[in-house]
Amino acid sequence: MASIPPKPENPLHLHTTKLTLGCPILDSFLGGGIPCGSITELVGESSAGKTQLCLQLLLSSLLPPSLGGLSSPSLYIYSEPPFPLRRLLRLSLPSLPPRPLDHIFVRPAHSADDLLSLLSHLPDSLPVRLIIIDSIAALFRSEFDNTPRDLKSRSSLFFKIATKLKDRARKLGAAVVVTNHVVDVVEAECGGARCLWSSGRRVVPALGLAWSHCVNTRVFLTRSEGMVRSSNGEECEVRTRRMHVVFSPCSPERSCEFAIVGHGVLGVG
Amino acid sequence: MLSEEQALRHISTGSGDLDSILGGGIHCKEVTEIGGVPGIGKTQLGIQLAINVQIPYDFGGLGGKAIYIDTEGSFMAERAYQIAEASILDTFDNFGCQLKEIPEKLKAESFLANIFYFRICSYTEQIALINYLDQFLVEHKDVKIVIIDSVTFHFRQDFDDLALRTRVLGGMSQKLMNLAKKFSLSVVLMNQVTTKFTEGSFHLTLALGDSWSHSCTNRVILYWNGNDRYAYLDKSPYLRPASVHFSVTGKGIRDATSQCKRVRMM
Repeated sequence: MASIPPKPENPLHLHTTKLTLGCPILDSFLGGGIPCGSITELVGESSAGKTQLCLQLLLSSLLPPSLGGLSSPSLYIYSEPPFPLRRLLRLSLPSLPPRPLDHIFVRPAHSADDLLSLLSHLPDSLPVRLIIIDSIAALFRSEFDNTPRDLKSRSSLFFKIATKLKDRARKLGAAVVVTNHVVDVVEAECGGARCLWSSGRRVVPALGLAWSHCVNTRVFLTRSEGMVRSSNGEECEVRTRRMHVVFSPCSPERSCEFAIVGHGVLGVG
Repeated sequence: MLSEEQALRHISTGSGDLDSILGGGIHCKEVTEIGGVPGIGKTQLGIQLAINVQIPYDFGGLGGKAIYIDTEGSFMAERAYQIAEASILDTFDNFGCQLKEIPEKLKAESFLANIFYFRICSYTEQIALINYLDQFLVEHKDVKIVIIDSVTFHFRQDFDDLALRTRVLGGMSQKLMNLAKKFSLSVVLMNQVTTKFTEGSFHLTLALGDSWSHSCTNRVILYWNGNDRYAYLDKSPYLRPASVHFSVTGKGIRDATSQCKRVRMM
């Protein structure tokens, strides 16, 4: 039985397609947009803007490549029902095709095994070029204790899920976006993870070190509140939202302010 | 004859300080493991080495080609291009050459084309490719570095039988060591970290278990010290342990620019 030897690729022909976030400031901040062919994680506390960004990506992926889109449908897998339909309906982008909702596939996932099964049974003919999992953390909340054995099997599931996602990302030239929650840090040492401040709490991404090895890009969304003295001498409360690149293969660590306004997420430059 | 002289040369990491604790850079005929947390710079260092191995012999390099085995999908060609451009410019700056003297074959495009890139999606693919390398290297004798980024990813699932995993890893590391010696090239393996519970608390340790730690000639651990990146030479047959501050810049891996950089000998 003759086996086919593996063939190397020439990096000169390996252009990374990027999906626009719908805002030129945010695109530039992320080195062009969300890369296809790898996993980008959006991590932050509740209401940090993760789902909002995901919904925006569902629409921007329908744009033509000339506008930074992928001209393709997307798959949105949600683990915390219900699917945020109302918020999606409030979003809009110029140059969208008619009936954009027809091009968005939506599936619930109830557990990590459920997600794995869902990913394994996706038909190859499904032409999605954006897969979103919102959120990965909710799939692991109650199933595992902290025994070494459970942590090991949980860790093994992380790598299985990541492998399936990266496989799809590569075969379909798809962007994969996964949202994750945060947990508080109590010790002085954060261990392997860099911690950030959000809403006055020192936090690290949930799911630990093993999961952090499964994503290629980690973007941390934070919120902070402070008092600012305005020009007429009055003190007013200012809420700042920031997006931080924690690690990325195509962009240095940096942060950028953003805002959530009625029609979407915008960078503040 | 040239091959023997080539093999005595080291592959620069891009940071003179890091090169110096490594005894000049990454060595041929040896397997070097590089471990660290996500984002510390393993892939960046891997790409830098895949570029720097190509620095021409006349400019102090090996003039070799690279094999880059990507198991995680973090290799970005655009970043490799950026690193190549900077490395070529810095090399020529060091030798006092004017830009217009750079020959066509030493443009960044050529450097990218000299990287044999393999994307691996399972551990069986990984083993199959490593088994195939012997034949590939016979046909491509100018390859002077094989990078696997990371060697770990596909081994952190599907192995309920840890003894089997240890055997498979052992066989793989033996093959890689043999390739390094037979073809006088360097093998660089990126590894992940995990937490191990010993003596009542959790410690960060390299993945793949205790038996794996014997598989490499040299081991370098990349770690954070506050907001600074450090490299620690943890294992070497003849060099003392030492740590050094380095940085990841737009140009690639470089010396740390802060005034308080230091090389600390242990």
